[in-house]
Amino acid sequence: MKFKALIYGVFREAIAKKIFLGFFGISTLIIIIFLLMVNMDSVQGMVDTMKLTGQDAAKQFVIGSLGFMVDISYLLIITFCIVSVSSFIPSMLEKGSIDLLLSKPISRPQIILGKFSGGVLLIFASLVYLLGAVWIIVSAKSGYWYFPFLTTILWLTFSFAVIYSVVILIGLLTQSTVLTIIINIFLVFVITPLLGSRETVLYGFITNGTIQFILNLFYYILPKPGDLNIISKSLLQGEAVKSWQPLITSFLLMVTCLSVSIFYFKKKDY
Amino acid sequence: MNIIATNNLSKEYSGRTFNKKKILALNKFSFNVQQGEIFGLLGPNGAGKTTLVKILLGITFPTTGTAEVMGKDVSDETYKNKTGYLPENHKFPLYMTGEQVLEYYGGLSGLSTAEVKKRTGENLALVDMEKWRKTKIKKYSKGMMQRLGLAQAMLTDPDLIFLDEPTDGIDPIGRKEIRDILLNLKDKGKTIFLNSHLLSEIELMCDRVAILNKGELIKEGTVDELTAGNDSYTFYTSELSEDTINDLLTKYSAVIGSKTEFKYSSSSPEQINTLIDYLRSKKVFILSFYREKNSLEDMFINLIENEK
Repeated sequence: MKFKALIYGVFREAIAKKIFLGFFGISTLIIIIFLLMVNMDSVQGMVDTMKLTGQDAAKQFVIGSLGFMVDISYLLIITFCIVSVSSFIPSMLEKGSIDLLLSKPISRPQIILGKFSGGVLLIFASLVYLLGAVWIIVSAKSGYWYFPFLTTILWLTFSFAVIYSVVILIGLLTQSTVLTIIINIFLVFVITPLLGSRETVLYGFITNGTIQFILNLFYYILPKPGDLNIISKSLLQGEAVKSWQPLITSFLLMVTCLSVSIFYFKKKDY
Repeated sequence: MNIIATNNLSKEYSGRTFNKKKILALNKFSFNVQQGEIFGLLGPNGAGKTTLVKILLGITFPTTGTAEVMGKDVSDETYKNKTGYLPENHKFPLYMTGEQVLEYYGGLSGLSTAEVKKRTGENLALVDMEKWRKTKIKKYSKGMMQRLGLAQAMLTDPDLIFLDEPTDGIDPIGRKEIRDILLNLKDKGKTIFLNSHLLSEIELMCDRVAILNKGELIKEGTVDELTAGNDSYTFYTSELSEDTINDLLTKYSAVIGSKTEFKYSSSSPEQINTLIDYLRSKKVFILSFYREKNSLEDMFINLIENEK
């Protein structure tokens, strides 16, 4: 009941802060545009031809369309995650609010895990709406129901969960929404892509072994939403995954961030 | 039975980043609160009152010493099932209605949905907020917010309620209503721990009072014990003759205020009766007389001034 109340609180906050509405609105807009696109005469003609040529062609159309949607959802989720949920922890820690929360018979680890689960469920529900609708449109149009696509919802939810765990830790340490947003945007949109391209770009300029080692270390430690998206798309397209390392290190990062958050929150005076 | 007991409780806060000087908020503080009483905590700003309440509720951790609530150490969260808390300047989520606030905090307290629904109605009625239950709390006045806070603190039918400035922002009629609610809770055997700057309120409600200054307990006792005067009596009489005034000055060491008023100090009832007999023998009408009593405010101010 207590855990349920925490999750309910996250959903209510998301509704009140128009996070749900924002995601729902943007998702609906994307769905409508997608619906209009697949009903265009040229696309209709292409689909009809594919249906005549066989299932493989229809499958390619479906996978191609859905892959495009995964990229859009990925960007949407990452941006939304950082901007919208960054306020969850700092607002909880405000004086007068945290006192009330901690006076209730609920443990501090439960509070952190409740906030985390609430946020993850929130994004999962939003993704089910967006990607579920797109999947139904494409499948109905092509007549080819590609079920493996639905696992993408879980992949994107996992990407969100990893970044959200970092957001929680930074929110606890800084107690500031603005600082949490800035740090995470810098981390996800500047540091992570730079580190991701370290072998192809950075090492061309940086030849020092120690610096390369440090960059490598940061690459493994920090979140890798881009690499997770690549794995997700490889699986979607039925290709072999080159390396599972991003999944393992991201999972470890998430567990570490949550553990450190819980440890810090358990010891902190409010 | 002690419902709250602390022993040598100390709390030291580390200073800010550029000022490492430690701040001692509580210094070896030992006290207890009995079950069923209304206990008042007084002290100037920064005396350590809020720190004490936060330690008792597990919001802040003690540096040394022990604190027990309902026989359990404050590190054990289970006692919180039976406590209620109204913090000063509490901040409820502004996007919720009054009813949703109670449902949310009721859920966090482990109440079932059916229990929450039942108690929400009861408690909102008790604080006279039923007609505002569906209104978003961002539209509430300060007084309404306090009433809602009180309903929230009473939601789980707790045995012990901590109230920090419960009548802050409430008009005199509302204050009286809240006082009546608290006295009614006391009649039901509940214990109330009251932290208020309104000394008159403490005086009206509390059975026992503790005064805290610079993290230390400087006085504790019943309101009567703390406000007891210095055995001085004020008499109001019919007009006194010159002879009577002289006798009062010389034989009774009275302090004459006017021809119809004087003060007399004595701890002996016999001496007071002798004075009354004397006044009657002089055909002086005694209109009234009373033993002087310090107000809690006078006592508090004197005590804090002496500590400086």
